[in-house]
Amino acid sequence: MREETRREAVWQFLTYAFVLLGAVVTMVPLYWIAVASTLKESEFLSSTSPRLLPGDSFLANFESLQARQNVQFVGHPGEMTQYIDLGPFYFAYDFWHLWDMGAMESSIFVAVVYTALSLLLCSMAGFAFAKYEFRFKKPIFYAILATLILPIQLLVIPLFLLMSQLGLTNNYWAIILPWAANPLGIFLMRQNMRSIPDALLESARMDGATEFQLYYKIALPTMKSSLAALAIILFLFQWNLFLFPLVILDQGKYTIPVAINQLVGAQRVYYDQIMVAAALSVIPVFLLFLFLQKQFVSGILAGAVKE
Amino acid sequence: MAAPTSNEPLSDPTVRDRARFFRQALSRRLPGLGESGVGYVFLLPTFLLFTLFLGFPILYTFYLSFFRFEGVSDETLLWIDLPGFEFQLTRIAELEFVGLQNYTAMFTDTLFLQASFNTLFILLVQVPLMVGLALLFAVALNASFVKFRGVFRTVLALPVSANLVAYSTVFLLLMQESGLVNYLLTSVGLPAIPWLSSSFWSRMTIVGAVTWRWTGYNMIILLAGLQNIPQQLYEAAEIDGASRIEKFRYVTVPQLRPVLLFVFVTSTIGTFKLFSEPVIINSGGAPLDSTITIVQYIYQTAFIDFRLGYASALTYVLIFVVSLLSAAQLRIGGSADA
Repeated sequence: MREETRREAVWQFLTYAFVLLGAVVTMVPLYWIAVASTLKESEFLSSTSPRLLPGDSFLANFESLQARQNVQFVGHPGEMTQYIDLGPFYFAYDFWHLWDMGAMESSIFVAVVYTALSLLLCSMAGFAFAKYEFRFKKPIFYAILATLILPIQLLVIPLFLLMSQLGLTNNYWAIILPWAANPLGIFLMRQNMRSIPDALLESARMDGATEFQLYYKIALPTMKSSLAALAIILFLFQWNLFLFPLVILDQGKYTIPVAINQLVGAQRVYYDQIMVAAALSVIPVFLLFLFLQKQFVSGILAGAVKE
Repeated sequence: MAAPTSNEPLSDPTVRDRARFFRQALSRRLPGLGESGVGYVFLLPTFLLFTLFLGFPILYTFYLSFFRFEGVSDETLLWIDLPGFEFQLTRIAELEFVGLQNYTAMFTDTLFLQASFNTLFILLVQVPLMVGLALLFAVALNASFVKFRGVFRTVLALPVSANLVAYSTVFLLLMQESGLVNYLLTSVGLPAIPWLSSSFWSRMTIVGAVTWRWTGYNMIILLAGLQNIPQQLYEAAEIDGASRIEKFRYVTVPQLRPVLLFVFVTSTIGTFKLFSEPVIINSGGAPLDSTITIVQYIYQTAFIDFRLGYASALTYVLIFVVSLLSAAQLRIGGSADA
């Protein structure tokens, strides 16, 4: 028995060591980004003695990032060009120009709109597949599943031509709509929504609920944790989209990945600016993750990836 | 509902009831297909987006792959000008039919072959490495004796929150000839490694960067799968005297197979789509061809050389290969125990 407990202890120690090592290795680059963003470029690029404690140049770095000509990273109050002059009252006409969005705001805006829209579409489609019978249900479902395999961002060329045809170049809809109906999301929602009891829906129908009410009053509330998990996946997907925004967006509308890529100039790379941008760009996702972390694990249920 | 003004016709209960009755009746048999129509209604927006943004591009890419792009054109093909609605269809591209030439040209294109080799190399090293690590972490964090599991889980999954371009740049800096990683290596007496300047090691740098970023994400998916394995299976295995490794081998892995398969397939697809990491890490001084990936090459042909036809053909070949590979993975993973 003592042999047993000793082996157990060794095993526990090894597990801890492994997890700890993993955590440390994971944290090093992130910590390094955070530290480097507070140091002068010359301080963190010199390797003879790597600095591991934060300095005090964060604001200076941030200011030099904001002073860049070709990239607006964080927005600033805009100029209200249009006014309605009514005697003592001035009205700003062009409300969009109250704030000139930088890459940070653009990315958050696009990711939030995309996540909301995609959650709506995916849950609706998932609900249809899980709870309704209709002709060609199986073939349609498998056709959608098959597109999971397709590397959709690769269809950049025809998408670009299509967007210019629709007049959507340099428009945020161009990077939201193409992947709004996300096959992975539809699949996850369908798997999870199958657990909603039919009797519940049927009794609600008896009480005179419309089919759409079944969806948003019963299906959606019971799927909260799955929706949260899916929200993280969708948000991350949009947050990291690089190739298509690079192709379709012009200066002034850049999202974070494109903006940071723009900082990698041809002549000289301003690493201090990149580090500040990198550190700032982690924050929104970090917050999202912190809030939805619990649901993320519980939301991807067994049914989600089985079959 | 209606505003609380007195003369509002909707506040009359009979009218409201009638409206509700009609709404219900309408939602039941909306497109005249009876009860089954509702399913189609829920699917309609998805269907529209899929046809427009997926169906069309797939077909058009296929079409483009038989042509050579000659230049831009703004010839108007169709012009609808109604009050309140205007639509103009332009030709956009001047194309010349070349048949299968785009497809045959690939086999003699050394840069394409190099890109395929690089992508396959990264795939074969990175995907097993990452999934293996993710599985080990998931199993470790699923053990009941580990304290602060939530903290570890969050820390390990944090890299996904780092921006693609940003973390690639960070790896570029960390892996410099005189960067932090080499500093650590030399300070424990190991030789410094040319992470960015040699062909082999620059590929390994990309492998490391991608693994760093996505291991935690996949770990969480695997963890969710692990938590759904019935505890009785482990108890039964214990009664049969199974060791830890046997339990892992004969209970965990088979039970986790669907999830593992899912992770394998998505990771494979992800690796095929690798683009920004090689672009940035390659600026570290490695020979250009040594890290170029297929997607990077497609981007270069399409948007720098403007050979849209050839790029479309390349895209098609890539889609074909990815589909084939995923299907094979699903086949192998799905039928091994049947």
